[in-house]
Amino acid sequence: MIVWLLFIGSLIVLPGSALLALRWAARTGQLEAFQKGALQIFDEEEPVGQMTDHFPGPDRLRRPKPATTGHGSRGDEKELPS
Amino acid sequence: MNSDAPSSFASALSPATDPEPSTAPALLAEIDQSCRAPVLALFGCGLVWLLAGTVLAELASLKMHWPDFLADTDWLTFGRVRPAHLNAMVFGFASECAIGIALWLMCRLCRTPLRFAWIILIAGVFWNLGVLVGIGGILAGDSTGIEWLEIPAYASPILFFSYALVGVWAVITFRFRREPRLYVSQWYILAALLWFPWLYSAAQILLILQPVRGTVQAAVNWWFAHNVLGLWFTPIGLAAIYYFIPKVIGRPIHSYYLSMLGFWSLALFYNWNGMHHLVGGPMPAWLVTVSIVASVMMTIPVVTVAINHHLTMVGHFHKMKFSPTLRFIVFGGMSYTVASLQGVYSALRSVSEVTHFTHHTIAHAHVGMYAFFTMVVFGCIYYIAPRLTQREWPSASLIHVHFWGTAGGILLYVGLLSFGGVLQGLAMNNPNIPFLQIVALTRPYLIIRTVAGIIIGTGHLAFVINFAWLLARQFEPYRGPVPLILAGTQPVK
Repeated sequence: MIVWLLFIGSLIVLPGSALLALRWAARTGQLEAFQKGALQIFDEEEPVGQMTDHFPGPDRLRRPKPATTGHGSRGDEKELPS
Repeated sequence: MNSDAPSSFASALSPATDPEPSTAPALLAEIDQSCRAPVLALFGCGLVWLLAGTVLAELASLKMHWPDFLADTDWLTFGRVRPAHLNAMVFGFASECAIGIALWLMCRLCRTPLRFAWIILIAGVFWNLGVLVGIGGILAGDSTGIEWLEIPAYASPILFFSYALVGVWAVITFRFRREPRLYVSQWYILAALLWFPWLYSAAQILLILQPVRGTVQAAVNWWFAHNVLGLWFTPIGLAAIYYFIPKVIGRPIHSYYLSMLGFWSLALFYNWNGMHHLVGGPMPAWLVTVSIVASVMMTIPVVTVAINHHLTMVGHFHKMKFSPTLRFIVFGGMSYTVASLQGVYSALRSVSEVTHFTHHTIAHAHVGMYAFFTMVVFGCIYYIAPRLTQREWPSASLIHVHFWGTAGGILLYVGLLSFGGVLQGLAMNNPNIPFLQIVALTRPYLIIRTVAGIIIGTGHLAFVINFAWLLARQFEPYRGPVPLILAGTQPVK
């Protein structure tokens, strides 16, 4: 009996919650201007183009030189969505 | 105690009744400060379990080729040490660190501080109590005997109560978000927080409280065991990768469309995968076949994620030389691809006929749980802990020892055990080879496994020393230059 309760409950609750999540996402604009979501983790404190982690120590050689163009860089600034 | 406290507390649980509403995104320093005590406590306790689990793993590995070792002590026999290792790693180390990472990421992405952090501290105390009672019970001989659910029934409610506090608290944090748009990592975290209690409670009811009969037990067991990796650890690991790769290199994820396709296809296909562990077993053929089809369909989210991560990293791979976080996270991301594709081909009947019941399966489990998830956890801690303590990691050398010990050790472990497992499987399918001869065939691979475990353990020890040193440092007044890692983002006290 409990197997059927869990089975039927899962059949209703899990797809139901997925549909509700999709409906909520559509209503709140989560599915619009999709590519802008990729920029959400950057801000004035940690902007695009700034490396935010490196080995400890004051030695500046532990950080790569600022990326410009050419080897090791794809010119991030130019790739940003408008 | 203030008499208004309970009502203030209750009203502060909803953005609609919050007495001090705020819509401005919180500063990163403010968020890190709010997460400091609970997240550091979760990481610290998780690392204690990591060391305990490593010792238990070494004992179990030694016993595979040296069966007389500590065989006279009943609580150190293989049948107890091995499940104790698994549960110490899965529930003690990995889950505890996963909860810490998920909470920190959720606060950062919601741009809101962690509210009432003491509730998470209480949850952490109960989680550790549950794991301690559970592993103590396993060593005492009270294991349930069900793989990945060996923790005795009397310890599970403690874990569930603790998890309920964490899950509810993460959802409340989400409700207070000051950033209306969701990032893909939040989809993964919210899904994992929903999936884990569903998996754990359903498995507990069907296998422990009111056990189902016959071979259905095996079906439920593998549904649970496989999904704990795929629907609990994998989403949190991928959430972290989707956050830390772009964040560390300073470049947005290559395609947000692909990231969402990866999430929804994982949600659709992964849940069906567990039955491929029962190929050849006394199960309805259609059930196993559906599972094999779903396992092959997992190629879609895996390749999607792999392409997206690779194209984000192209042109930035040289930064792995400078960032410990990036090293571990990229290693973990690549291992996710390997583990998943290995899972796809291992699910096929023709392959499973050889690799099933061999050390190949053990190697595969370690690619997923260690080379992928654990390495991602290490990378996350390298990024998060300095921001919470406002101090740089004390020793770069220890970080190098940690990375090369764990990466080299797991590559040795997985490579040789996979190869040895295939040889073992081929030999087991040959009726002309005596079983003891097959046992002798696998012995060199088991000895190398123990050596690999020692190398990995050395890496763990270096990491724990560095972490403890970092924690000790935060109580000293800071006299050095502004740490590069914090420069321009946070004040150093």
